[in-house]
Amino acid sequence: MTRIKPAFPALVSVLLIGGAVTATRPHYGGTLRIETAGTIQALELAAASAAPEDANTSRLVRPLVHETLVAVDPAGGLRPLLAISWEGDARGTRWLARLRSDVKLHDGSVLATSQVVSALRARHPEWQVTADGSDVVIEPGREEPDLPWELAEQRNAIAIRQPSGIVVGTGPFRVERIDAGGLALRAHDDYWGGRPFVDGAQIRMGRSPSDQLADLEAGRADMVSVQPADVRRLEQRQLRAAASRPLELFALVFEPHLATPANSALRRTLASAIDRAAIARVVLQGQAEPADALLPQWLSGYAPFVLARLGQPLSRSVVARLPPERRTLSLRVGASDPTAQSMAQRISVNAREAGFAITVQAPAGLGPRFDLRLVRLPVEPTTPGRAITALMTDLGPRTLLMIGRVTPPGPRSSLEEVAGVERALLERDAIVPIVHVPELYGLGRRLESWNGPPVSSSGAWSLADVWLGPDGSGTP
Amino acid sequence: MTLRNRLFALVSAAVTVTVVLVTWTVSSSARQSFATLDAQRTASLVAQFRREFANEGEQVAARVERIAHSDEVSRVAADLGRSRDYAPYVNEAAPLAAAQGLDFLDIVAADGTIVSSAEWPARFGYKHPWAATPSRAAGTTGGFLQAVELPQEIALGLVATKTVTAGGENLYLAGGRRLDEEFLQSLVLSPGMRALLYRNLQPEVSRQQLIGNEGDVPEAAPLEPLIGRVIQSRREASETIAWPEGPETVDALPLQAPDGAVLGVLLVGNSGRELAALVERIRWTGVAFGGLGIVLGFVLSYALAARVTRPVEQLATAARAVADGDWDVHLADLRTTGEIQVLSNAFETMTRQLVDHRERLVQAERVAAWRELARRLAHELKNPLFPLRITIDNLRRARSLPAGEFDEVFDESMTTLHTGLANLNAVIGRFSDFARMPAPQFAQVSPNEIVQQSVALFQAQLTAPGHPPITVAVDLDPAIGTIRGDEEQIRRVIQNLLLNAIDAMPAGGALAITTRRSSGVVRIDVSDSGEGLGEEERRRLFTPYYTTKQHGTGLGLAIVQSVVADHAGKIWVESAPGRGATFHIELPVEGPA
Repeated sequence: MTRIKPAFPALVSVLLIGGAVTATRPHYGGTLRIETAGTIQALELAAASAAPEDANTSRLVRPLVHETLVAVDPAGGLRPLLAISWEGDARGTRWLARLRSDVKLHDGSVLATSQVVSALRARHPEWQVTADGSDVVIEPGREEPDLPWELAEQRNAIAIRQPSGIVVGTGPFRVERIDAGGLALRAHDDYWGGRPFVDGAQIRMGRSPSDQLADLEAGRADMVSVQPADVRRLEQRQLRAAASRPLELFALVFEPHLATPANSALRRTLASAIDRAAIARVVLQGQAEPADALLPQWLSGYAPFVLARLGQPLSRSVVARLPPERRTLSLRVGASDPTAQSMAQRISVNAREAGFAITVQAPAGLGPRFDLRLVRLPVEPTTPGRAITALMTDLGPRTLLMIGRVTPPGPRSSLEEVAGVERALLERDAIVPIVHVPELYGLGRRLESWNGPPVSSSGAWSLADVWLGPDGSGTP
Repeated sequence: MTLRNRLFALVSAAVTVTVVLVTWTVSSSARQSFATLDAQRTASLVAQFRREFANEGEQVAARVERIAHSDEVSRVAADLGRSRDYAPYVNEAAPLAAAQGLDFLDIVAADGTIVSSAEWPARFGYKHPWAATPSRAAGTTGGFLQAVELPQEIALGLVATKTVTAGGENLYLAGGRRLDEEFLQSLVLSPGMRALLYRNLQPEVSRQQLIGNEGDVPEAAPLEPLIGRVIQSRREASETIAWPEGPETVDALPLQAPDGAVLGVLLVGNSGRELAALVERIRWTGVAFGGLGIVLGFVLSYALAARVTRPVEQLATAARAVADGDWDVHLADLRTTGEIQVLSNAFETMTRQLVDHRERLVQAERVAAWRELARRLAHELKNPLFPLRITIDNLRRARSLPAGEFDEVFDESMTTLHTGLANLNAVIGRFSDFARMPAPQFAQVSPNEIVQQSVALFQAQLTAPGHPPITVAVDLDPAIGTIRGDEEQIRRVIQNLLLNAIDAMPAGGALAITTRRSSGVVRIDVSDSGEGLGEEERRRLFTPYYTTKQHGTGLGLAIVQSVVADHAGKIWVESAPGRGATFHIELPVEGPA
């Protein structure tokens, strides 16, 4: 007893420290359960006509299997992935990417430079892609100073089709099964960045926001997408949330019959009436940023200086004298989008104070003609020029035609030129930015991550560094 | 109208009036009873609504109270006491309202800013229109009516307010339930009743604001005046609305806010259709039974009238028979009692006495006739017999005369005797003729020809020298045709009348004969301009042996009347003293039946 007594405090300390270390040390094993709203049938690139949530699911899942040469890092720059370095000439007409060595494909074979060259050639027939040892030489045939950003796009991920027809990649996970019910991924044991902590990931697709939230709260899911209004609920239930940078733009888009110069004062009045700050702070529970421009401030840096509306909004009495058909408007919003619905209702209240009567309607068959839409546009985490170009593509030719002739910025456009393009898009108030919203995820109690959050600021999933701890809720 | 018909009509009328009165009384009484019942039902429903309304208000207040004491509200109040950031609580109201079954719930900050709204979540940040006003914030013991603004409409709500104080700051709760179809459905309505709610939330009466327990009311226009009247007067009113399906009594109850404003009108409709149908059924049942009663009354009335009047009718028939000359009438089979029996006996007695009187009268008349005949006969025979007796006396006295003188006397006497006997023979012949009037021999005869022949027969006499001048005017209807009659007897009639007319004008005058045919009879008129006849003469003119002539037998016109009667005709005379006389004869064309 006398020998034990002096050692007891030390033993207790060791046990406590050991327990603490055990709780924070990554564990291998387990299956990560993820739920998404969108669905995918294959890992090929989503078609342009795919639903936004399906395209988003594809954008998130694909990098887990098929990697690009470079990727967007959390700071908004580029980081090495399959390429450990890259360099180009001064004009950007010739680029050289040095591949990471000993990268193994999911079938166990080593990724060859020729396979990368073949994949890039297949994707970009107009490029001159050659192999130079372990280097890949890319000559795009024109000046491409942002070629590394292009290589970071998912469409340039390296997917190798084997003679058997199976497509394999180099990502931390390989596809085990994909069907209507979901996607089963297995850990890539020979992943160049080290085997993922989890043995696999089960992704249930096509889940509604409410179902995802319920599953998360019930411990049936480890990571789900959530709405901004749900973040507070997660906190109340001692659950965590993870967010990207604002990667979505909510904007009002007037229909062509209201985009005419004769209605400019009406549009300006309505745009001025919208209390963006209240929407961001209250409707979106502080999870969003009021949008002063199409591109978020973190991406462009000039957002507060873009909007400079000409003229004063109409007074309420002037609005009251407008013909009823001009002050009674219908706002179309997605029926299955509760966030957009809430925002639209608030916009309706704001407009009501300005003298307008806005009816929020969900598209249903051959509904009545609507006057404006609340659109949800993804913001690419890339250069401002590329991002604004992508936004213009997402707005569609009909909207661009309505706005007038606005040319997307070129490859070598300066930031001022990009801002000019954006100003041209906004100056007629036919497009009214409302808020920028991040991608939000609810994290289960057993989900832990090593070396950064499971969702990066660029929105990408960092599942290779995720591990599963004990279930805090006691759910098996 | 016969006595039986009169009696039948009288009794039937009495029965009908009685039945109609009873039916009307029953129907009217039933209608009044049901109307009273309906009024009671309506009053009961209105009272029920008041109770439900009060209960609902208390429930709303209790639910708002429970919310005020909930952990969530306490936490919100405490947090807001520390921080002015309302954002985290924007969605607090909806689950609290749902948990308490409220349609409205607003959490309002001390400065009146809406922190969270269950019915209009997007309205946060704006000032609440009434929850933070001193009168409302003070709260009430129960609920009160309030117009509640919603995104697309203004609703009528039964609301309550509650103030929660934490950290020195007030937090106001304004919650309530919507007065809508669901509230109306909670009212227990009797069959035929309905409850409607008008929400007075617009400046003018709008039928879109009227709802029933199944939503919109398709036919609202007839109710608008009543609604407008109640809103204006702020008092209950009632009106009967005439719908195509039937009347409906609508009681309108103003629903007022605490400040007295009429925010709604409860309409309790009590359909008169069921009542009308019931009254109609009663009426028709009454009419059916009344009709049956009337028919039964008619039958009984007829039977009663027949029973009562049958003896009277038999008495009347007997009286008619007596009047027609059939005095041999007996009422032996008449079984009656009482006054009718007395009447019957009196009738029997009367007829017996009449028969006795008649027989005695006949006897007397026979005696009188025989006396008259004897007197006439004696008178008629006495005149011719007197010369005969004188002649016979002359012959007796002349027997002593010389043969020559005797012969002369004898011859003269023979002549006288012969003439006297001839006269006697003529007198006897006339009596014989009257006694032996032959039966007429009917054939088709022409009255015009008979008249013409008769006039011609007297023409020579009329135109004889020394005869007083008489003008004859004959006016014959050429279309008179023939009649069925005895030519000889008709001729005798015409000649007799012509002779009488001539005799009536000893100093001359005008004689007129006309014939006419109409309506199946032939009329012959013979007129003279003589002295005319007095009343007594006209009355006795056709009596046998009555004459106004010095040498008349008094049988001429009696024979004329007899002939006319045998031909089923009529004869009458029109005359006045000094104005002549006209004899009219009507003979049926077809003769006697």
